[in-house]
Formats: sequence, structure tokens, C-alpha cells
Amino acid sequence: MTGFLQATVYGLLQGGLLALVAVGFSLVWGVMNVVNLSHGAFVVLGAYVGWQLNTSLGLDPFLGMVIVALVLFCIGYAVQRFLINLVVNGPIFITLLLTFGLELLLVQGMNIVFTANYQSIPTSYAGNAIVLGGIQVPLGRLLAFLLAVGITVLLVKVMANTRIGMSIMATGMDRGAARLMGIRARHVYALTFGIATALAGMAGTMVGTVGTFNPAAAGGFTLLSFVIAVLGGLGNMYGAMVGGLLMGLVQAWGGYYLSGTWVNALAFLVLVIVLMFRPSGLVGKAFYAARVEV
Amino acid sequence: MSAVPVLETRGLGIRFGGLKAVDDVSLSVPEGLTLGVIGPNGAGKSTFINLVTGHLKPTSGTVLVDGRDLTGVKPWVIAKARVARTFQIVKPFRGMTVRENVAVGVLYGPDGTGRMSTALKQADEILAEVGIFELGDRPPGELSVADARRLEFAKALALKPRLLLLDEVMAGLRPGEIEPSLQLIRDLKARGMTIIVVEHVMKAILAVSDEVLVLNAGQRLMLGPPREVLSDPQVIEAYLGHKYATRAAQLSEAASAALAAPTPTPTPTPNAVDIAEEEVGPDA
Amino acid sequence: MATVTPALWRRWGPWALGLVGALAALGLQTQLYTGQVRTVATIFMFVALALSWNLIGGYTGYASFGQVVFFGLGGYFAAVTMTHLHWSFWVALPLAGLAAAAYAVVIGIPLLRLRGHYFAIATLGVAEGTREVVINLDGLTGGGGGITVPTVGAAAATKYLGNDGFYLVYLALAVLALLITGLVSRSKFGFAMRAIHQDEDAAAAVGINTTRTKVLTFALSGLLTGLVGATYAFQQVTIYPERLFDVEITVLMVVMVVIGGSGTVLGPIIGAVALQFLSEWLRQNYTTVHTLLLGIIIIIAVILLPQGLVNYLREARRNGDYSLLANVRRYRL
Repeated sequence: MTGFLQATVYGLLQGGLLALVAVGFSLVWGVMNVVNLSHGAFVVLGAYVGWQLNTSLGLDPFLGMVIVALVLFCIGYAVQRFLINLVVNGPIFITLLLTFGLELLLVQGMNIVFTANYQSIPTSYAGNAIVLGGIQVPLGRLLAFLLAVGITVLLVKVMANTRIGMSIMATGMDRGAARLMGIRARHVYALTFGIATALAGMAGTMVGTVGTFNPAAAGGFTLLSFVIAVLGGLGNMYGAMVGGLLMGLVQAWGGYYLSGTWVNALAFLVLVIVLMFRPSGLVGKAFYAARVEV
Repeated sequence: MSAVPVLETRGLGIRFGGLKAVDDVSLSVPEGLTLGVIGPNGAGKSTFINLVTGHLKPTSGTVLVDGRDLTGVKPWVIAKARVARTFQIVKPFRGMTVRENVAVGVLYGPDGTGRMSTALKQADEILAEVGIFELGDRPPGELSVADARRLEFAKALALKPRLLLLDEVMAGLRPGEIEPSLQLIRDLKARGMTIIVVEHVMKAILAVSDEVLVLNAGQRLMLGPPREVLSDPQVIEAYLGHKYATRAAQLSEAASAALAAPTPTPTPTPNAVDIAEEEVGPDA
Repeated sequence: MATVTPALWRRWGPWALGLVGALAALGLQTQLYTGQVRTVATIFMFVALALSWNLIGGYTGYASFGQVVFFGLGGYFAAVTMTHLHWSFWVALPLAGLAAAAYAVVIGIPLLRLRGHYFAIATLGVAEGTREVVINLDGLTGGGGGITVPTVGAAAATKYLGNDGFYLVYLALAVLALLITGLVSRSKFGFAMRAIHQDEDAAAAVGINTTRTKVLTFALSGLLTGLVGATYAFQQVTIYPERLFDVEITVLMVVMVVIGGSGTVLGPIIGAVALQFLSEWLRQNYTTVHTLLLGIIIIIAVILLPQGLVNYLREARRNGDYSLLANVRRYRL
């Protein structure tokens, strides 16, 4: 029983972090109808930037995250503005291929700069654990969880209450109408992508504090983001939260009950089942741009 | 005229979440009839067509074609039962020529042939019938609005339908372009084809329909001969809103008064058509 | 002396070209030395793969991002039956193709109801999931440690074919894929595929059984991919799940088709030859950064030639406008 509870707690903590990994992916898909196959690469890039700040400047990763967010925002903004915007109206495999090319570029670039070795961002406190009734709650994971949830909630507030947020949401609902309202779609798209990569970067840094990462991990993050975004409903940020927690639990419980690497197959099983029976996600409705036709 | 209606719906309905887009519509369309369907935007006209042609699955009721229960079957089953439709937003196959667009229907229609040359020849005949024979080699993207709608017509005719459902084939046409379409419908009618015309252009409905069905908020509001339906106050209110209904009533009173007076020229009874033409224009 | 009319050329020209190409490939073999034979064989392999993806992705418009699952399945089917049941390769090969086709039907029936990105990623999910299953059935498949097909001695029902043998098998598969594409693209069935791609609702409305067409196309595409996978498995002798289900193989197929021109017969061939040639050249000359350069090439190609070389030339000739910027203008925001 303790083992099960421990797995549950671990799953929830991991799930919160996964939610932050995926929320930007979901936002980009929902608003622009772009499935960003390089999303995972931005997560890993964020981890490396956080790691670099930590190793060369000794910056605490949870503080360094702010800089990570800024750096990744700028990169993301430029990528959307000067690359993806060029093909955003094309058929789907065009955007899929472009972002895949970007993924190859980023992952190989990181391989060359940082090598393929596993890294982690060490802190003095992340390994310490609070013990509650025999259940271990590692401090680093708890902090990451709280921050991830906090950032997601903040993002929802920003989207609902600020001018920029509303422009993004409006563009996602109807680009033509948004343009008529004087919203510059090119800029808004770039902002959206920038925000998404910034979030991915922060998530990456936290992944680095609670575990290990290397460039090859990028593909896995992209797929997980996809599953979570679909679970939660596209562009739905609270949905991503629910999807992330669910995915965390599925993984933790699967790891507890299943042998070998069957747990990896489980995530895809969940994905396919959700696509089959509730393609608009478990939570709420999908955006117009990404609405599925069945 | 056979005893079994070409199309019969019984309590047909669909709900999207809480919204009943089409609600309990029953009707019977005997062979050879041209039925006009009108109603305000969002009344469920296109949804009704989608339910009949299998593009949407009804959540209640049945669809009978020639007495066969075809409720909720796939669109291609409907097509093979000789029920053809056009789409309100034209849906050409953009990578094919106009001729090939029609040939696909010949190839896969109820009399599906396997021979490409036969299909292309038949496609040419149908294109000639709708008046765009000379555009056969063009890609559909180069067609004008009117010609694109004719292509939509031709694709439906490729199925050699017994029942033809036309979803706003005249929307967006200039007045001069409407007449050829009307003539085409009259020709098909003369050949005994059963036709359902969904249209905003009142003149068109009036010109070709034997009966008119009025939908409002998904429900069947009224069914009857065109003139009768269009002068019904309930229809006027549903179609044009309360303001017009009141005005129509006033006009009607004035007309009665005029009739009572010893004037030799009677004012015609005002109806939705006149008001719609006058106030909203043909393709509002 | 018969004159070649345009109609005659349209009808028979591609077949004549295909025949000449195949014969040339046979002749070429004698002129190459060993390393080159292997490289050219790989090019044929990708020609076959690109053509098979083109059926479902190019003609029918369903971007299968999990296509490698048929490659892996075909490969493992061949490896497992040849190892455990001592089947001959010539028995295992066609049955591996059929197994892949059957799998395509099984997953196609539910997945082909999805459109756009959803289909793309659902297939990707199935491919990744299938790989995990293969890893975990280690009694049968050797798991992550791989499985080795017996190629010599009494255990080997079929002796290793060697570079020249595989060259011929891949060439045959490429020709088979070309033949199927050529036949399908001109048939009634091809019209249905294109109609589904261009407007699925309209296709259903003119009587096309869209579900059956899509599932059959997926099966055909899976069959060809499975045949190539089985051959690859035998050629590699020892195979691992990570390689046989590598998502990069799918992506290469997609890139080749898109660059060459999707929904055409010639496009995937041009794309496969060009990209594989380039990739090999980069690998030999810029070993460390070759994947990075490949990424850049994909990005540039997608931006400048989004409709593919063949379609670009076709349109450019019709409109008399060869500007690449026109392509950019079309899809940019």
C-alpha cells in the first residue's frame, strides 16, 4: 500500500512537471494549428541553458530559469517569425517537416556543443526529502511541481486578462477576424511561439534539477507533449494540467505494476484510446483551428 | 407516380450537445415533386440535407429512401441509392480538371463503370447539359462563382440521381446568372426528377417549388404550396422577425381596406417574398 | 516509322522510362565496385519506401508518421520466422509483406477515421507502442538485445544474399513499387484516392466508399513497406528494435516524397535518389555535422519547394513563372 501511495505521489509530482513541458506545445497547436515536432528539443535546450548558467556562473537553477525563459523566448520568437510563418498556411506535412528539420538541427547542434552524455543540474537541496507517513516527497520535485503549477495558472490568467493574451486567444479562434480587429497575426504568432518555447525551457531546467537529460531525450518530450495536449484538449491550458497529471499517474502506476519497459507502451495506448473515443480531449472543447473532423 | 415516396423522414433530429439543430422533422416527398426548403439562418436547412445524405448521423428518427431505411448510413451508400447533393460551399476536387471532377461521379456512382473513356465521355455530356462543356480542361480553381456552382450541379448529376438535393446553388449569383440555373431545375423537373431546393433566393423557390417546407429553430414550421406558405404570418415572423411581421399585418390591413373601397385595382396581398426582396435583397 | 504523339507518350512514356531505368540499373551493377553496390542498393531501398509512403501520404493525403511500423514489423516477421522456424527468406519475404498489410488493416480501420495531425500522430504513437511491444516480447524477438538471422550453416534456410543479391532484391522491390504506383495512379481506384485527398466529404458524396479506399491504400502501402523491411532485416543480419522502428526512417520517406513531389509517380523517385545521394555524400565528407546539415536542407527545401520539385516544374511550366519566391508567398502568413 505504501508502495502504491509512493507511486501516486511521485506520479502527481512528475505529472505537474509534464504539464509544464506540454502546455506550450498545446498552446502552439491550438492557436496556430502547428504541431511543433521541435518542442522537445526546446525543452532540452532549456535544460542545457540552465545547466550552463549553473556550471559557469553557479546560478541556482530555480533562479536561472528566468534567464532561461528570456533566452528561449527570443529564440522561439525568431524561429516563428522568420521560419515557421513562411509555411504556416501550407498543408500539414509541410509544417511537420519544417519543425522536424528544426528538431534535427537543434538536437545535433546540442550533440556537438554539449556532447551526447547525460547531464543533470545539481543543487544542494533538491535531493532532500520530506517524509510524510512513510512516503518520501523529494524537495526538488515538490518545488518543481509547485512552480510548474504556479506558472501554468499564471499563464491562464495572462491569457484571459491581458491585451497580449487576448490577442493570442482571439487569433487562435479566428485569424481572419482577429486581423480585422487590427491584430498583427505575424507578431502574435511569434509571441505565442516564444511563450511556448520559454515555458518549455523552464520545464527543461526543472527536468534537469530532478533528473538527467541529453539531446536524444528531445523526441520523447515531444511525444509526451502530444499525448498530454490531446488528453487535455488543444490550446486548453488547464486541460494540459489535467493531461499532465494523468500522464504522470499512468507512468508511475504503470511502472509500479508492470515489468520491463511495458510502461512506455502504456502512454501510446492511452494516446490512441483517447484519439479514438474523445478526439477533442478530456477537458472542454478544442480550438476552432485545430478542430478534429471524424 | 408510385405510391412509395422517394424520400420520407420520420421524426428526424440531431442534437449537438444541448442544441437541437434539427428537431423531429417528418415529411414525405413523392416522386416528381420539387420541394423548396426555407428558413432563417441557423434553422437547420443544411443540417437537414446532411442528415438525409449521411454526412451527419441523426440522433433520432429515420430516413427512408424509396421505402428503404437508410438512417445513418454512410454518404456513399446514399449516393448509390441515387440520392445526389450539392454543397453550399462548393467542394470541387482541386487537383483534377473540371471534366475529371464529373468523371469521378460517373465512375463511382450507382451505374459505376470501370472504363475511364466512357466516364469522360459521359462527363462531357453532363457538362454540356449544365452549360460548361467548354471549361472541361480547366482546373476548377479558375472557374467563376457561377461556373463553380454549375460544376457542383454537374457532379451531382453524374450520379444519375432520382432525388437531387440542392444546397443553395444560387447563393452569390448575380440576377442574370440565376435564370439559367432555374431553367436547369425546370428541365430536370420535366424529366421527372424529384428535387429538394434549399435556397435563400425567394424568387427561385417560388419559381420552381411545388411545395415549400419552412424550418425554424430546427423544427418544421409549415409545409404547403409556396404562395400560401409565404403569406403565412407565422412564417413571416420566423423568417424576417417580429418587426416585419407587424409591418406585413399593417400592409395587409391597408390592402383589405383598399379592397373594400371601390377602387378598381386590388393591391396584391403582401407576403414574405416581396418583403424579403424589398428589404433584404436576393441573397441576404 | 511510327511517330510518338503526345497521347501515346502520356500513356506509354512512363512505362518505357521505367523499363529503361530498370535495365540501366541492372547494367550499372556490373560497373560498380562493392562499396558502391551497397550505396546504390540503399538508394533503391529508399525509392521503394518513398513510393510506398506516397500511396497513403501523397495520393490519399493521409500523412502516416508511423509508417516505419510496417518496416519494423516486416523486418521482425522475417527475422523471427527465419530464426525460430527456419523459414526460407523467399517464403518469409512475401508473408512479411502480408503481415504488415494485415496490421495496416487492423490499425487503419480505427485510425483512418482521424484526419490531419491527429492521424499523423496517432500512427506515430502506434509505431512507438509497437516498438515497445517488440522490445518486451524478448523471448521471441530478443528484446532490446536484438535478434540475429542465421545466414550460414545448417540453421540457415537461405544463404546470405551478399551485396549483389540485395542489390537485385531492392531493385525488384523498387520496380514493384513503381509498377503498383503507375497502375494505381491511372486507375479508377487512383481517382478515388485523389478525390479523398482533395475533398473527402465530396468524395463520399459521389459514391466513393472512402473507408474502404483508405484502408486498402494503407494496406498496399504497408505491404510494400513491410517487404522492404523484411529485406533490410535479412541484409543487416542482426536487427534491433531501435533501428527497425526508428522514426527517422519514416521522416526520410516523408521528406523524399515532399521534396520530389507528393502524389506523383516520378516525385518520390527523384526525392529518394537526390536525398539519399546527398545524405551519403554529407556522411562521407562532413561526418560530425551531417545530420545538422540534413536538418538545414530539409528546412530550406520545405520553404522553397513546399509542393515538391515535380509539381513545381509542372506549375511553373504552365504559368511560365519559375520564381521560387512564389512558393514562399503561397504559404506564408
